[in-house]
Amino acid sequence: MTIETQPEDTHVDNCLALGSIVSSNSHLDYTVEIYKETDRERAPQIDEREFGQPVFIQKSVSGEPYLVMGVIYNTQLVDPDQGRTGTRLAQSDQGQFTPGYIEERTTLAGVALLGTARVTEDGLLTDPSHELPRWTLEVDDIVCQCPDELTKTFHMNDEGDLQFAYADRILNVGGPLGSDVLLSIIGRLRSMIADTDKNQRVLDVVEQNITWQAHTDRGVIR
Amino acid sequence: MASPHRSGGDSMNDRSDVIGAVSGPGDNPNEFLFVTPEDQAVKTGEFITYTVTVEGESRDVFARVTNREQIRGLPDTFLADPAVAPETIAATLGVPHDDTDLYQLTAMVIGYYDTMMSTFANPRQLPQTGTPLRIAPAEQLEAVLPNLGVASTTADVAQFDGLAHTGWLLNRPAGEVDIRMPIDEFASTHLAILASTGSGKSYTGGVLIEEMMLPSSRAALLIFDPHGEYDTLSEMQTHSAFEGDDGYQPDVVYFDEDRLRIRISELELGDIMAILDNPSDRMQERLAGGWRAMQNKDSRTWGVDELVEQMYTMYGEDDSSVGGLEWRLRRSIQRNELFQPDANVPLDEIVAAGQCTVLNMETLDSRNQQLIATVLLRRIYRERLNAMRGRESDIECPVFALFEEGHRFAPGSGSAPSIGILRTITSEGRKFGFGIGIISQRPSKIDQDVLSQCGTQITMKIRNPTDQEAIKKSVEAAGEDVLRELPGLTPGQAVLSGDAMNTPALVQIRKRLTDHGAGSLSATEQWSETYDRQQSQPVRSEPADFGGGESTGFEEL
Ligand SMILES: Nc1ncnc2c1ncn2[C@@H]1O[C@H](COP(=O)(O)OP(=O)(O)O)[C@@H](O)[C@H]1O
Ligand SMILES: [Mg+2]
Repeated sequence: MTIETQPEDTHVDNCLALGSIVSSNSHLDYTVEIYKETDRERAPQIDEREFGQPVFIQKSVSGEPYLVMGVIYNTQLVDPDQGRTGTRLAQSDQGQFTPGYIEERTTLAGVALLGTARVTEDGLLTDPSHELPRWTLEVDDIVCQCPDELTKTFHMNDEGDLQFAYADRILNVGGPLGSDVLLSIIGRLRSMIADTDKNQRVLDVVEQNITWQAHTDRGVIR
Repeated sequence: MASPHRSGGDSMNDRSDVIGAVSGPGDNPNEFLFVTPEDQAVKTGEFITYTVTVEGESRDVFARVTNREQIRGLPDTFLADPAVAPETIAATLGVPHDDTDLYQLTAMVIGYYDTMMSTFANPRQLPQTGTPLRIAPAEQLEAVLPNLGVASTTADVAQFDGLAHTGWLLNRPAGEVDIRMPIDEFASTHLAILASTGSGKSYTGGVLIEEMMLPSSRAALLIFDPHGEYDTLSEMQTHSAFEGDDGYQPDVVYFDEDRLRIRISELELGDIMAILDNPSDRMQERLAGGWRAMQNKDSRTWGVDELVEQMYTMYGEDDSSVGGLEWRLRRSIQRNELFQPDANVPLDEIVAAGQCTVLNMETLDSRNQQLIATVLLRRIYRERLNAMRGRESDIECPVFALFEEGHRFAPGSGSAPSIGILRTITSEGRKFGFGIGIISQRPSKIDQDVLSQCGTQITMKIRNPTDQEAIKKSVEAAGEDVLRELPGLTPGQAVLSGDAMNTPALVQIRKRLTDHGAGSLSATEQWSETYDRQQSQPVRSEPADFGGGESTGFEEL
């Protein structure tokens, strides 16, 4: 029987750790150093930390367990041997990659925050909120892969309607790739809900709107 | 942040009834723009007010909303899937969608009510940006919208006499802002009720007739009814609403075909010419001579026989033109029962205060309808002239005559014997207490002189562009914003404009007290009734054919 493994997979404590925070570019925009084989016995595979992957960071606020939800919206390779002039995720004049901090070839991921949620006693996600998270994450906070089930719960309100209320912020933080992050999340959600679910049609319209907007912004159509 | 300060008790600073604020000037010098949130459902046509200081005095200026445009709302792209509500998409994307729509409205300044001039005066300045706007109070609108000459905007006009309660402002709940037009005004400077068929013209005519026959007005009305639509007015004779304290109750008198008669000597030469079938020049000359000779005789009761005899005497027994005239006169006049040597419609039987006379002309062809109208209008006008000049007169009180199918009596093209006298009355009648009401579904077919003299207009639904154009040309007060409303009106809704109003208003015409007589005929009902009748009288005989003798040979208008 495999049923028993099911709750384990979605328990927030059992989710795969992808990396740790090394810096931030703004309140909503963090840089994460992805774990390598040498850091962990179970390092994330390439498809487990891909563009558009939802993530969360566990945070305890006034003794209450919370999740700060995010999404990988950018990645970057850093090779310290290439010298200190190597490209950075953030603006060049912010010297957050101090010498000695990153010593080996590393993959960095940009994580944009989407919102917050509370954690149930069973370690499940509840009370999703797409409002701007008020708390600041800290360096070394661990960023975990968010399982599909939790991603889905995060995008549903009490009435079972889909919500993407962070969309405008992601479009902002994500810059040129903002719309692609959203489309990627939409793609994931599609595969998580039944084909006959009424939310599929809502996703159609939202997807259409975002695609159209992206094409307009990029000058493909006007 | 400091909470907004509000000085308690001062009504000027109470913004609870503010519906929006001025955002800037509009395209026209008299226009301004303002913005309202969605929950302030201010419609076009609504009257709003603001306060300005004109020459040191604080004035309540009235303005009419002429346009409404959404300036903030959900994007059209949210409408991509008809099965998904745009609000659902908005909710999904976290876009606010409850009460966040913003509307920009355009308003046209009407003016402040100048109590000295008893009408609106233009403040000649637009409200400043940010000026709070309020819905105009009902009592004030009742006092200032119709031309009632009130001395104060707070006058209780419901107590006034001589007003016709026509309906209420369409934009407000039923009965909130009652519109009462001054009867003296529209009855003396003439009235036009214009609309497509089925929009409520006759119904509205009925409402005004009722108002004029109430104990407080007791009018002398004459209705030219080509369709027999006004038979239900007789209910006024027993309806309690028409009962006066002194025992007054209106008289409703019907004149049917058998009582509609024209005395031949009351015709004019031009009328005869119009009736006769294509007379030659020689014939016209002979007729003119004979006619003049008959006019000089003492007798006013001569007929075709006497006229023909006179012409044979003047031009010889074997004059071929007189022969042709005789044939034509006998065919068109003598064989038409409408024309009689002696009988006519006695004026004192059709015109009297407190009496509504309906001339039911249903069975007459339109030429005969025109002729009876022509002769009656001439006679009444002459009597009114006499009365006003202190001479003996059969008609001592003002008269109001209402014409259904007005374009038939005052057509813009073609010949109608009635056109001349209608032009005279509409341009001069006000001096002599003779008012005309024209009802028509084809404003473009009405003589422009007559139509433009109708000082008060009730315009209802009109789709036809030619007719809309005719209204624009002849109805001075009809602004673009008012004309735009016409195609969208439903039966019973009307724009009131002109002399009886200080500014045009969109009005729901009130319900009739008496029944409406012009319900459209049900074809299916009539077919089955006729079928039943046919079944019950199996043996039918063809009616004898008397040829075209009864026909006057003129095409219907
Ligand atoms: N003010 C009104 N209130 C209620 N019904 C009305 C009103 N005006 C018109 N109607 C309805 O519309 C119908 C058509 O009106 P009518 O006056 O006969 O049209 P018209 O004379 O313009 O051809 C009427 O039978 C009546 O049912
Ligand atoms: Mg009618």
